Amino acid sequence: MAQPMDNVVDQVAQLNAARSLVLGDAAFYPQIVNGILPIVGASTRLELRRWGANFLAETFASPMLAVAQKEQLAPNVLQTIREILELPETDTTVLQSLVQTSASLYPLVFRHVVNNPQDGKSWETMSAIKQDILRRMDSFPCPVKLCCSKFIQRVVQVQTPGLISDPRRPDQNETSLAVVPRNHALLSIPNLEAESSGLLDRLLGVFQEETSDALLVNATLNCLAPLIRTRQSVANKIINAVLEFYPAKHVRPPFTPTIRVSVKSMERTARALLINILKKNPNHPLAGRMQMYIERLMQSRLEATDDASRKRGLPNEPTDGLDNAKRARLNALPPPMLKIPPMAPGPASFDRLFTLTEDTGLSSFDVKQLPIDLVLKIVVPLLSQVNDSTLSQAVDAVRTRYQTITKEQNLQRQQQQKTASQDEDDDYEPEYQPMDVASVVSEEASAVAAEVADLQPELVSLGPFVLPQPPPLSEEEAGEIGRSAVARVFGMLNAAETSPAPAKSQSQQKLGFARLAGSTFDRDAWSVLLARLATRAPAGLENDQQTKGDVRKQTTIAESIRETLYRFILEDFRGRLNIAIIWLNEEWYNDRIRMKSAANQRDDSEEDSEPTVALNYDTWATRLLDGFLAYLDSRDIKVLVRFLSEVPEITIPITQRVASLAKDPERVNLCVQSLMYLIMFRPPAREMCLNTVEDVYQTCKFTLPVNIHLCHVSNMRRKDEESRPAAGKVLTKWRPQSTVLETAANAAPEPSEAKPVTSEP
Amino acid sequence: MAYDPRRTNSGTSTPQPPPPPPPPETSTQADMASTTQALETANAANAATDSYKLKFCTVCASNNNRSMEAHLQLSGAPTAFPVISFGTGSLVRLPGPSITQPNVYSFNTTSYNQMYEELSGKDERLYRSNGILNMLDRNRQLKWGPERFQDWVPGVPRVDHLSKGDKGAVGTEGGVVDIIITCEERCWDAVVDDLMNKGTALNYPVHVFNVDIKDNHEEALTGGKAILDLANRLNEAAVAEHRIHGSEGWENGTGPARQSFDEKVPEILADWQEKYPNLPALWTLAWL
Repeated sequence: MAQPMDNVVDQVAQLNAARSLVLGDAAFYPQIVNGILPIVGASTRLELRRWGANFLAETFASPMLAVAQKEQLAPNVLQTIREILELPETDTTVLQSLVQTSASLYPLVFRHVVNNPQDGKSWETMSAIKQDILRRMDSFPCPVKLCCSKFIQRVVQVQTPGLISDPRRPDQNETSLAVVPRNHALLSIPNLEAESSGLLDRLLGVFQEETSDALLVNATLNCLAPLIRTRQSVANKIINAVLEFYPAKHVRPPFTPTIRVSVKSMERTARALLINILKKNPNHPLAGRMQMYIERLMQSRLEATDDASRKRGLPNEPTDGLDNAKRARLNALPPPMLKIPPMAPGPASFDRLFTLTEDTGLSSFDVKQLPIDLVLKIVVPLLSQVNDSTLSQAVDAVRTRYQTITKEQNLQRQQQQKTASQDEDDDYEPEYQPMDVASVVSEEASAVAAEVADLQPELVSLGPFVLPQPPPLSEEEAGEIGRSAVARVFGMLNAAETSPAPAKSQSQQKLGFARLAGSTFDRDAWSVLLARLATRAPAGLENDQQTKGDVRKQTTIAESIRETLYRFILEDFRGRLNIAIIWLNEEWYNDRIRMKSAANQRDDSEEDSEPTVALNYDTWATRLLDGFLAYLDSRDIKVLVRFLSEVPEITIPITQRVASLAKDPERVNLCVQSLMYLIMFRPPAREMCLNTVEDVYQTCKFTLPVNIHLCHVSNMRRKDEESRPAAGKVLTKWRPQSTVLETAANAAPEPSEAKPVTSEP
Repeated sequence: MAYDPRRTNSGTSTPQPPPPPPPPETSTQADMASTTQALETANAANAATDSYKLKFCTVCASNNNRSMEAHLQLSGAPTAFPVISFGTGSLVRLPGPSITQPNVYSFNTTSYNQMYEELSGKDERLYRSNGILNMLDRNRQLKWGPERFQDWVPGVPRVDHLSKGDKGAVGTEGGVVDIIITCEERCWDAVVDDLMNKGTALNYPVHVFNVDIKDNHEEALTGGKAILDLANRLNEAAVAEHRIHGSEGWENGTGPARQSFDEKVPEILADWQEKYPNLPALWTLAWL
């Protein structure tokens, strides 16, 4: 037992010495290879076969040994390999080395046969080895299988046309199908090409397997780069196969660390291959898809990061300084994907929408058959077990389905409407036929009704919900709703008032005449809106009511708005004077417009019925004035002057109201000064005002004592006397010819005693 | 000897450079050179008696710190793995006086000894205190100089490295490796990409691992030990495969035991990763 063992040890030692020799000087290779072949042949001991196969693999892979010499050595070696393979050899290591050797030999032999068509034996041996390897590949142990896929890659590379770099120097060309002459005795180009195409499919088949073997996938990915680079005719096919490959697709939980390592390695290797291709050719036609694929792979790694962080949690402090992002990539697996089948065909229904299973038995099962308490018993524990991500996936799926359906239905409806409208256009006839109108309308109506009827089943199941026509409102209800709307607008007015807006007022001033009413959404805008609601909107309607003789005193919306506005302004007339002015301007304008239209109407109709216009301006201007005059005190001159100067029209009732101020001795100056302002700056109202001043002058003298308040009797008279000169002074300036003045001058003391008007604050 | 000329160069101000390194270096070199033949025969004998070893290759950016620490660990282990090492950077970059002034050398043509001499001449205190000189001193006892991965032609015999006395050279004469271990994802990407560019001409499968190690001396040391652990696990599996499919016969093993070494790799890495969660790992199967 020991003796043959020693013998083997000796032999291996000798062989190793021989190997050292050729490693030192490649010139010895032919000699050594031919010398060792008998020693390591088919019938020798395993140790020797292993050594021999290994040595042969090394020899034919060695870049130091010239191709010509390898070609010379090939025939003898081929025979030995064939014999060992047919033994049949079972040792993994030997098989591995032999397949490696065959892969290295294949291009050599192929080229040799191309150049020597008469050497049928070499080709026959090589083909036999190839057939043997290909036939047994699937039953080989894994390491050998890996080498077999590399062998296939070599065969494909050889039997696919490559680039002819220089047709004049065939020696320089790479070994490929392109160097085979058309009329070669042994090599038939179509056969070889067909074979290589089949082998390429077999090689790429690894990407379509249900469960990816990381070793085989990585080995394949890593050997594809030279094929893609040098074999244009199959490059795109290969790239497409890689792009279809998604490492984590078929991975099912549990995600053991081994599976994580495998998936990550496949992802990174696929990425490395595509980056290699892109680097070589950035303008590759598939560059965009490759880029997307790489990004997708990165994303899947990110998802896996989340997964990992949920499971283990990242170390909080990077004490070792390692990049957290790198660390997180460790476990690369996406969450389980729920398989969502497309929605069942046929008209959409809720039933179909929510059916996520393809099992017909399950989907046709009627849950209503089960008693409710049993259902509860089943559902409650089930709900607690539902996986979050699965649930959200399912919900998302239903949502997308629903959105697609609604979109489709909307589109359909639009198209139907479009076609309907087109029909209308087609039916349009230029001759006017009054009789047809009704029928056309009814036809249309029936068409629409039919349409709606068509849509009805869909509406029941899905689709946009159309609100039914509301019942007609009674007048009271309408009024009520209108009032509440108005109340809301007043609410806005109050809200806008509270926010101080100096900037806004500035901008308004800047806008000047260019401004548009109600465009700024401040308080003024809202008041304009209200004023117009009250004046314009119902204009002309009230008349009708009046002519109908509506006995019942009905407050119209307009009246109620006016009433509310009136009260609103009086609540704080100093602050809201602005609103009052806006409102009165609107009223006045509205009155003009209506008078004008009434005049036109009268001209047009020339009938007995005289359209009357209820003038609101006068009413409300005097009401407002009445409202706040009582509260004016002697220092409110600015308020009163502003009001009087900015209202659109001064009427006699207004001046009378102002004149009534003079009844109160405290406010005589207020009265006189405001009137004087009007006289000075409002020429149209000048006469009217002067008359009023005359009145004041006179009443002061004659009637005032009668009208004064009792409580003020004692000092009234005295004040009265003081106020008179003020009015007199105005009169002397503006109406020196006044008769009142003359008569007064006779009875009264010197007017010069009067206080100077301008001294008032 | 080798240190005399530098002593005169560096003058009197610098502390005495450590005397221990030279003798072992020269002695091992002499040993190696003289006993190449003897070693080979010994190795041959070992090979026959089941001492199968995987051949390793360690890779980092500059082939100085991380890959060399791993190189030391693997070649110095009791199993004394065959190991070669490379860098994937365009140039060898070592820290300089500031971050913007690195010391730059070219791969393949500059020896660790040259770097050592130059830096100790420049500012011995600085490079001693930041550990660069210690590192270079270790490296020059392991092999001649930094090699660039992209310039490596797999399959070209490395007999001269053996005769130069590179540590871990025994077993790598054929110029191929079974396992490549990089120390940074960038390097892993570069290695996988470069292997594709090399054209996979040898049809020789190689497992390419990455073990992410930060580039400093402490991390390099822990990383190197972790790499040795990984190497031991891998080698154990490979040896087991050889035994099972060896003389005892292929029929003896059942189930997982019959799994080949290659099939076990993802599992081994996953187990290893559980133990070293702070050294994120990556793997693929490529071709030389």
